[in-house]
Amino acid sequence: MILRSAAVVMAALAFAGPAAAACAHPHTSLAYLEGQIMCPTCNTTLDQSDAPAAQRIKVFIQKRIDECATADQIRSELVANFGTGILAAPPHEGFDLLAWWLPLGGISLAAAALAGGVWRWSRTRDGEEPPAGGTLDPADEQRLDELLARLD
Amino acid sequence: MRALKLSGQVVALAAVAGLLGLLVWRLTHRPAAPKIGGPAPGFTTRRIDGGSFDLASVRGKPVVINFWASWCGPCKTEAAELERQWQHYRGKGVVFLGIDYNDQTGDARRFLAHHNVTYPTLLDGSGAIGDRYGITGVPETYFIDRKGRIVGEHILGPITTSRWSEAFARGIQAALHS
Repeated sequence: MILRSAAVVMAALAFAGPAAAACAHPHTSLAYLEGQIMCPTCNTTLDQSDAPAAQRIKVFIQKRIDECATADQIRSELVANFGTGILAAPPHEGFDLLAWWLPLGGISLAAAALAGGVWRWSRTRDGEEPPAGGTLDPADEQRLDELLARLD
Repeated sequence: MRALKLSGQVVALAAVAGLLGLLVWRLTHRPAAPKIGGPAPGFTTRRIDGGSFDLASVRGKPVVINFWASWCGPCKTEAAELERQWQHYRGKGVVFLGIDYNDQTGDARRFLAHHNVTYPTLLDGSGAIGDRYGITGVPETYFIDRKGRIVGEHILGPITTSRWSEAFARGIQAALHS
């Protein structure tokens, strides 16, 4: 009886172990995160690296996914361990915001300068005197007639 | 109109000059290994077992700094030998410091337990300390004398190889006696 009970408990533990390790509804995936996380030793993202350090981080990410951790949690844990340099894109806070806003500001300024230039150019064109076609003065008109007559 | 055009050109030139300056600065400020005989770069970091550590706190003692990582194969090769050397020299006042470089703390703890490493381990997850020491990979080892100067040879591999085992012995002697 005792042996049978022990066997049942052991079988239950054997099945419960993997079930507890795997997350029924994962919040994220390795494929999603490995493009956002850098390999610290090779300066490429994890999806482009098979370096030992990258492989260890992939194992860590998969383990945390299996524990139902979210992408934010995993990123935070990696940042706590490696610093913000582990992220492929700088965080949206503090000084790192400059990395996001400076290019956008530059593009906006360039677009504004271009729009301003086009507007100014079109205004200049509007203000120009139209070409004097068809309004020759009588002397020129007479000279033109003489030239055309000579050609006939 | 002319003034606006001129100021636009000045701004564009300044932006290009700034970017060029940044490029030159980055190229000329790449981490380089500290010079033998020069001062050891200082640092403060976390210990793997909690608390912080400042290199200045061991000034006056010979120091062996070993950069390693749990994902590094040769680090496994030399781990037992480093521990043996630490047990041999600790009575002579030599401080051994393992610096866990670009590694995950959980993996590092397993590595230390597996290899029975007992000397202090410091964390360098971001690689900032490694950059200050200009390391090109792991394992690498430095020796610091009592005056805080880098001495001996910068060891660029596991201390178990014939090439580096003698350099390790000489490095410890240099740290002890210079």
